[in-house]
Amino acid sequence: MTNVLELRGITKRFPGVLANDKVDITLREGKILALLGENGAGKTTLMNILYGLYKPDEGQIFVRGQEVDIQSPNDAIARGIGMVHQHFMLVPVMTVTENVMLGVEPTKNGVFLDHDKVADRIREISDQYGLEVDPHAYIKDLPVGIQQRVEIIKVLYRQADILILDEPTAVLTPQEVEGLFRILQTLIDKGKSIIFITHKLKEVMNAADDITVLRLGRIVGSIDPKDATPEILASMMVGRDVNLVVMKQPAKPGEDVLKVNDLYVRDERKNMTVNGVSFDVCKGEVLGVAGVQGNGQTELVYALTGLLPVESGEIYLSGTAIHNKSPRTILEHGVAHIPEDRQRHGLILSFPIYDNMMLCTYYEAPFAKGVSLQENVIQNNAETLVKQYDVRTPNIYVNASALSGGNQQKVIVAREFSRPIQLLIASQPTRGLDVGSIEYIHNQIIKKRDEGTGVLLVSSELDEILALSDRIAVMYKGQIMDVLDAKNANKDNLGLLMAGVHPSESTQKEERLP
Amino acid sequence: MTQTATVKATKPKGIGGGTLGQALLVPALAVLSGLIIGAIFILAIGENVLTAYGALFRGSFGSLPALIEGIRVYFSTGENQALVRALYPFTESLVTATPYILTGLSVAVGFRCGLFNIGAEGQFFIGALCSAFVGYSIRGLPAFIHLPLAILGGALGGAVWGMIPGYLKARFGAHEVVNTIMMNWIAFRLSDWLLNGPMQASGFRPVTPNIQPTAELPRFFADPLRFNWGFVLALVMAYIVYWFLFKTTLGFEIRSVGANPDAARYAGMNIVKNFVFVMALAGGLAGMAGSAQVLGVDHWVGQGFAAGYGFDAIALALVGKSHPFGVVLAALLFGFLRSGATEMQSMAGIPIDIISIIQGLVIIFIAAPAIIRWIYRIPTIKTEETVLTRGWGS
Amino acid sequence: MKKSYFAMVALIIASLVLAACGGGQTQTPAATEPPTEVVTEAPTEAMTEAPTEAPTEAPTGEATEPPASGEGITIGQVTDLGGIDDKSFNASAFAGAERAVEQLGGEAKYLESQQQSDYARNIQQFVDEDTDLIVTVGFLLGVDTATAAKANPDQKFAIVDYSYPDCFGDTAVEGETCGSATELPNVMGLTFDTDQAAFLAGYAAAASTQTGTVATFGGINIPPVTIFMKGFEAGVNYYNEQKGTDVQVLGWSTADNDGVFTGNFESTDDGRANAESFVQEGADIIMPVAGPVGLGSAAYCQESGSCRIVGVDTDWTVSASEYSDVIFTSVLKRVDNAVFDAAQSVADGSFAGGVYLGTLENEGVGLAEVSGAASELTAELDQLKADIIAGTVTLPE
Repeated sequence: MTNVLELRGITKRFPGVLANDKVDITLREGKILALLGENGAGKTTLMNILYGLYKPDEGQIFVRGQEVDIQSPNDAIARGIGMVHQHFMLVPVMTVTENVMLGVEPTKNGVFLDHDKVADRIREISDQYGLEVDPHAYIKDLPVGIQQRVEIIKVLYRQADILILDEPTAVLTPQEVEGLFRILQTLIDKGKSIIFITHKLKEVMNAADDITVLRLGRIVGSIDPKDATPEILASMMVGRDVNLVVMKQPAKPGEDVLKVNDLYVRDERKNMTVNGVSFDVCKGEVLGVAGVQGNGQTELVYALTGLLPVESGEIYLSGTAIHNKSPRTILEHGVAHIPEDRQRHGLILSFPIYDNMMLCTYYEAPFAKGVSLQENVIQNNAETLVKQYDVRTPNIYVNASALSGGNQQKVIVAREFSRPIQLLIASQPTRGLDVGSIEYIHNQIIKKRDEGTGVLLVSSELDEILALSDRIAVMYKGQIMDVLDAKNANKDNLGLLMAGVHPSESTQKEERLP
Repeated sequence: MTQTATVKATKPKGIGGGTLGQALLVPALAVLSGLIIGAIFILAIGENVLTAYGALFRGSFGSLPALIEGIRVYFSTGENQALVRALYPFTESLVTATPYILTGLSVAVGFRCGLFNIGAEGQFFIGALCSAFVGYSIRGLPAFIHLPLAILGGALGGAVWGMIPGYLKARFGAHEVVNTIMMNWIAFRLSDWLLNGPMQASGFRPVTPNIQPTAELPRFFADPLRFNWGFVLALVMAYIVYWFLFKTTLGFEIRSVGANPDAARYAGMNIVKNFVFVMALAGGLAGMAGSAQVLGVDHWVGQGFAAGYGFDAIALALVGKSHPFGVVLAALLFGFLRSGATEMQSMAGIPIDIISIIQGLVIIFIAAPAIIRWIYRIPTIKTEETVLTRGWGS
Repeated sequence: MKKSYFAMVALIIASLVLAACGGGQTQTPAATEPPTEVVTEAPTEAMTEAPTEAPTEAPTGEATEPPASGEGITIGQVTDLGGIDDKSFNASAFAGAERAVEQLGGEAKYLESQQQSDYARNIQQFVDEDTDLIVTVGFLLGVDTATAAKANPDQKFAIVDYSYPDCFGDTAVEGETCGSATELPNVMGLTFDTDQAAFLAGYAAAASTQTGTVATFGGINIPPVTIFMKGFEAGVNYYNEQKGTDVQVLGWSTADNDGVFTGNFESTDDGRANAESFVQEGADIIMPVAGPVGLGSAAYCQESGSCRIVGVDTDWTVSASEYSDVIFTSVLKRVDNAVFDAAQSVADGSFAGGVYLGTLENEGVGLAEVSGAASELTAELDQLKADIIAGTVTLPE
């Protein structure tokens, strides 16, 4: 077995930071190497060096035993190295074919673009690697998982045999992740070699042949997946022991804090995406809402927080009707909201941390006196919260954009938890976060629950739902399939419900519910 | 990547979070580059660069020997004519900068809320007309009532002119760029009519009557020095806008809506209310610019009164990074360039358009700082760019 | 790499310094050099003779001394917002100034006003430079010119299209709504009886129309504009009287003192639209009195081939030569001649304030060649011109 790719002693410095420190990596032919590390460990920098986007300060790169100098992505492609970026580089208004040929356009008679030739080649690649996609579909009409396939096809079309996938699962649903792994396996079987960058432990153990862990720009070590456990990997990544199991006492639910009656909500495109949902959340309990992304969870949360109007139905917060009230009214009733898209809703990235720490209460005492902002109070508040919630930042004056995802989420949590609340709505609270941050945020949510706050947890990560919830509601096509007691819930019965199948019926009647 | 460690600890003293030095480095180099390339143009038309820039400098700041001589004469004889002459170029630059400051603030406030106020020109015109009307039509008031009333009239007129597009955006989602441009044309044609009809002074000239002396912004010196309290008004307004944007809850809302409207809504802010309010505020500032111009400098309004202040203001807001103090600096720069250009045009025979070229270059360099960073090899510091507008889709 | 950029910048700076030294005139910057920006399309080419008449109106102020320098004359022109290249009176005035320094020696300079507040500053600039004659262009500079003239009684001015006294009525306040209640001894107001020339144009148009209808429109309803339209209408009426025809004039009625106006001096679109509607109403010769607006009309005529244009101020076959084929004739307002005369009077010491009135007689106004005119018409026009000069044909007030 040969090594198709070797990095030796790669060092890359940015002003004030050692992003990669003498990194050695080996990729064996026909294997999947998982590069594991927390956000900011230097994984992406390393791959950008390999792809010719950065120049290393020191070190050598060998492709099939031959030292190469990669100056640009074109060099990388010429050496058979292809990259699938975390954020897809696709033009939404163009077709799959057009996107694939972008940059390497073949022409008919030297003038006209030869779409058919490319489309045929795409079909060939699709068949060969099980990458089903319609060459004539527009990117904007495709789900994220398929868009990723297009990215992979793009790389294969350029005849890469070393594929780098940067955080390929970050944007995928569990089903799509499954699909991706099948594709990766096919690629391997056809002789490709793959570097797979991730921070998700379980994926690594399932998919990889080799695991190399990076921390703070250095190689911590390599490990055989057979010997790895999530605990071992997590401690390698974080540098200390990590408790992956959320320790929690049984819930002591009190009276209803949130009551939702027969709720209907239309999304921004005016499609009815929440179709008659009813449930309640008690004080001191976590109600988990499971479901595949896009089954109305987002709109449900938006309606609860006043960001989308309610078509019909009622929402009561401790007996007060809050449906179709303004976001501010709802906030003032003691609803905290950890939004699903933290960069879109949760933070103003171009504002310093201290401003983000009072984003929802800037107009109230003690942050304001009349119309005048009380800078000292605001900054002291931020200093306190940064310490209390362990936000890793040089100081409170940097912009929120400078923080890592985990620390951004901590800012939101700190802000939302620091005001008096009776209901916490947490939507995908740990999406894209590293292990350490996930642990921290889970513990904070349970802590809040134990203080008597009602928690509505919306997540597409079943592990998260199972770890935190006291009761679990499963949403499918805008309706709640069932509400299970966490004690009776497991991945199997939740998975069936998420697919729209009632477990009791599935065994008896094999009948799908609407 | 490990951004947390790359960002240096910076106190929020300077413009937009960076230190003042950092914030000023690129604009300063942009000005330098603009002058250098301007020099190439001057060479290209066969003129002498030192003569030209010497005249530009004298025209903007005056000359030191003349100033010393003026002071000497004044103290030895009490005759101030020479001193007044020596001060004239510098004060004229400040006079020119005054409307730039106020219109620049107008556009900057809009940018801060993610709105593109192209209507400052029309608002400026309307403000001037309103101030002129209050200034000449009301008689017999003492100055301490008449003058504030005239300023208020201009500010209100501009505010209404700005508020209309703001309301149309809030209510119907009509894009403010389109509507402010339309409002400009309405203002221009309305003024054509007013100056040839209801507001026309006696005689045939399309100008308003002169304002009453009680409505004039007092001048600091005797004629021909036109330096007046309008400049102080502009500086005060710059400080008030700064205070308002950065030290008040309303300003926080405006900046939030501009920086991230989704997050602003999440935080319970009323987006559309802010749109209307900010456009009214922007209009008010541009209107006040018209006010200061008519009450302090011209004392009457004629056809072609506005002549581009409102459009230059867009560039000013860009150059000043939409920060009130940045706008003041940019306005002073434009003021000195414009004012010095008179001397340069006359003494060195350089067409006044060269100043427009230099201004244009400065704007390009500041709008595309990568060019400047590349030329002068300045390392890029990762900072959030000021959000200007949300484009057409919003 | 890095060094090379600094080297480049250093090189540029060095070249600037060298160029500057090479110029070798750091003491008196460009004192003898005329601006390089010479108006190229000004109607100097169209001129055949330089009029020599002194101002026709009796001077009221005392004659002042000739310029002290003895080496020609410095003329500083302050433009209005139209700028030096306006193909109209700014350009024309500067052509006169340049011709004056050509013949008398000295220097002619100009300062363009881009804003209303520039007027006073630009005048002040020339006052500070001890310019022999400051020419201000346009009635919008009326007050600032008078104010500067009063503040600097030794400074000589000429103002185009304006004259003093200009304060009439109860509401006029000297130095504010108007320039001066009395004649100013150091300002020569350059005014023009353009109606005389427009009268000839109207006569020629009436004689040449195929449709029996001619038209005119203005920028705004102010005397310097309507004087053209009045003269034009009067000329048509005179032709009707003489020949018993019934040629109609669209766009102006002296009886109503009103007509068609675009409301601006900028929009060529308005010029096109007006021409189009006049043609639809039957006109085939149009006189636009609105500066560049008329170019839109000319463009329409050229495209449609259905009308011809009477140019104003300058000879449009020269200043708008791209439309030569549709220029019927032009009503010339010889601002250049007036400025030349004013400059010459400064040079020979005969300068006096008051009013210069440009007429057919002193070539201050005139009619350009009428395109395709039959020799009878040319003869009639020559006769008419002589009659107007002699006073046997009088224009309505």
